[in-house]
Amino acid sequence: MITSIAWKNVWRNKTRSLTVIAAVTVGVFASVFALAAINSSIVQRIDSAVNEELSHIQVNHREFRSNSEITNIIPDPAAVVATLRNTPGVTDVTGRIIVRGIASAPAGSAGVEISGIDIEKEKQMFTLSEKLIPGTGSYFGTDTRLNSAFIGEKLARELQIIRYILTPESFKALEEKGIPAEVADKLKPLEGQRFTTEKRLTEAYTDLLTQGEVKKYGLRIREAAWSYREGSRIILTFLDFNGNQTGAAFRICGIYRTNNDLFEATSVFVPDGELRRLAGLEEGVYHRFIARLEDNDLTDKVTPVLKEALPDLEVMNWKEIQVDLAMIADYINQIYAIFMVLILAALSFGIVNTMLMAVLERTRELGMLSAVGMNRRRIFRMIMLESIFLSMVGGFAGMAVSGVAIAITNHTGINLVKYSEGMEAFGYSAHLYPTIGADFFIILTVLIVITGILSSVYPARKALQLNPVEALRGE
Amino acid sequence: MKVVEINEVQKTYHDTEVEVRAVNGVTLSFEKGDFAVIVGPSGSGKTTLLNLIGGLDQPTAGEIIVAGHRLSELKPSELIDFRMEHVGFVFQSYNLIPVLTAAENVGFIMSLQKWPKEKRMARTDELMEAVGLSDRHKSRPSQLSGGQQQRVAVARALAPRPEFILADEPTANLDSKSAETLLDIMEKLNREEEMTFIFSTHDVRVMKRARRVITLEDGKVVSDVRTNHSA
Repeated sequence: MITSIAWKNVWRNKTRSLTVIAAVTVGVFASVFALAAINSSIVQRIDSAVNEELSHIQVNHREFRSNSEITNIIPDPAAVVATLRNTPGVTDVTGRIIVRGIASAPAGSAGVEISGIDIEKEKQMFTLSEKLIPGTGSYFGTDTRLNSAFIGEKLARELQIIRYILTPESFKALEEKGIPAEVADKLKPLEGQRFTTEKRLTEAYTDLLTQGEVKKYGLRIREAAWSYREGSRIILTFLDFNGNQTGAAFRICGIYRTNNDLFEATSVFVPDGELRRLAGLEEGVYHRFIARLEDNDLTDKVTPVLKEALPDLEVMNWKEIQVDLAMIADYINQIYAIFMVLILAALSFGIVNTMLMAVLERTRELGMLSAVGMNRRRIFRMIMLESIFLSMVGGFAGMAVSGVAIAITNHTGINLVKYSEGMEAFGYSAHLYPTIGADFFIILTVLIVITGILSSVYPARKALQLNPVEALRGE
Repeated sequence: MKVVEINEVQKTYHDTEVEVRAVNGVTLSFEKGDFAVIVGPSGSGKTTLLNLIGGLDQPTAGEIIVAGHRLSELKPSELIDFRMEHVGFVFQSYNLIPVLTAAENVGFIMSLQKWPKEKRMARTDELMEAVGLSDRHKSRPSQLSGGQQQRVAVARALAPRPEFILADEPTANLDSKSAETLLDIMEKLNREEEMTFIFSTHDVRVMKRARRVITLEDGKVVSDVRTNHSA
């Protein structure tokens, strides 16, 4: 009966209740959706780190990470491979030889980490091959010429292998893309000019076009100006096993694009055989073994097993390599909970105010309830339930709206390309696909109930302070 | 059988340094089945006395014993339980719970007392019929007239079978016809259920029906007359 009365009391003053419910709904929706968007960028970042860059566990010579000398090779590699393969949870293993060197092209040079890889194995274990930019090659492809290199877009830009140039062909492309002739004419002064970055090109055409034209045609202009000559070459130079400088020309077989600028700018992949030959490394020698696990959740379980099995080597999982990311991943739920607590604390003031008004305008009724035998505990419970119902109706509505919004945007994505430069510098995608775990909604439900309970304390205390004789008299 | 015993009860209020003795040495008792009214001019202490008998207020001095309970010995929380178990209240302004239907209002105190649902519903039906509202079970208080609301309030007070009913000016807000109907119902319930009714009133219609009229003046009983009205 108390529960039923409390629920009905919520709807006594519909306008007032709906106002506070709407405030809670909007507050919960806004914060849940914001958290889902933030969460998605973290989930995507972890996904990229594991599937494109690091995999789950890496095994190196103890000195290799601090001193990446070519001579710091893994001793007894066959035994290490056997140990990795026989460890429960490990599904795949591959080895890399890794050298630090310089990548040069006619227009520039950059320091890089060159990884000699088993192409087929890496294709199975990483998704980097899927990050190939269309029109730039085919990830080593069927042409297994040894002197092929797979490089990142950022490096390609630095070496000016990719550039932006408005050629006569570009203007034809602009026409085909439906850009009006008068807009194309405005771009004529840029014809033949080379821009090393998208930003520089954008700045140049922004000076010539109106704001509306930039917004409407900017993407199509950048696409038309994007220029890459397939089969471009770079020179990779480094020190071989004997400390002598060596190097060779590598044909670029493909350019990949990830969300991590640093990785793109420094990671060059070449077939293991060619690098081995140039570096003077024997067959079967490796600097790094990479293990993939059945499930990311096994990472914390398998790592100590491998550390014990390979005591002379450095065994690190992705969380130990990307400490900042791991910390975010491990504490993300607590961070979300703190964020929600702050939001709900702000919303609770609205609930307290509403409940206080409800109590003060029902003085006489509360006096009657006390007179006929409704004890303090029951009155407190009734007020508390009203407050919980208010918070929960708003909370559930907010969760439902955010659930729908998350489901839709998880499908369509949120394009933050405008801010991509900043985000990708830190390895985060500019396309967000909001997502949040079901467990978060459970935590949120508990927090909303707690908010309701805490919001009821002051109004309920006010109700309990009423003297039934005075309350009944006080009209 | 004595239902209420009041011995030398005083109630003093201290209002802005002035001492007001609302009840001043009242000694009374009520028998089971009484149909008594307390009358007197405004400020004579009628409502205060009713509040003291009902355990809504504590006397400054003296003793009130209801159904064997010395009210002055009860803690505030025990007084609330005492009221729920032993006293039925009918207020001048009906004081029904607006979000509940008429039947739910009648069943309210029984549900606080955790009566089984079937028993509670049977008692509700019985009382709704007794007060002539068997067709208004699902009506909200706002859909009922003043007289009908007061009849629901009487049914609510009677429902858990208390020791007695305290009715503070129950007809004050009612027209003549509604007041007579209400009094007919109360008399009938007094007769059939042997329920003790103690009224505080100015209303001559109530006084005419009473079998005992207690007159208060300045907080003191100035007369206590039993009439020969038959219930």
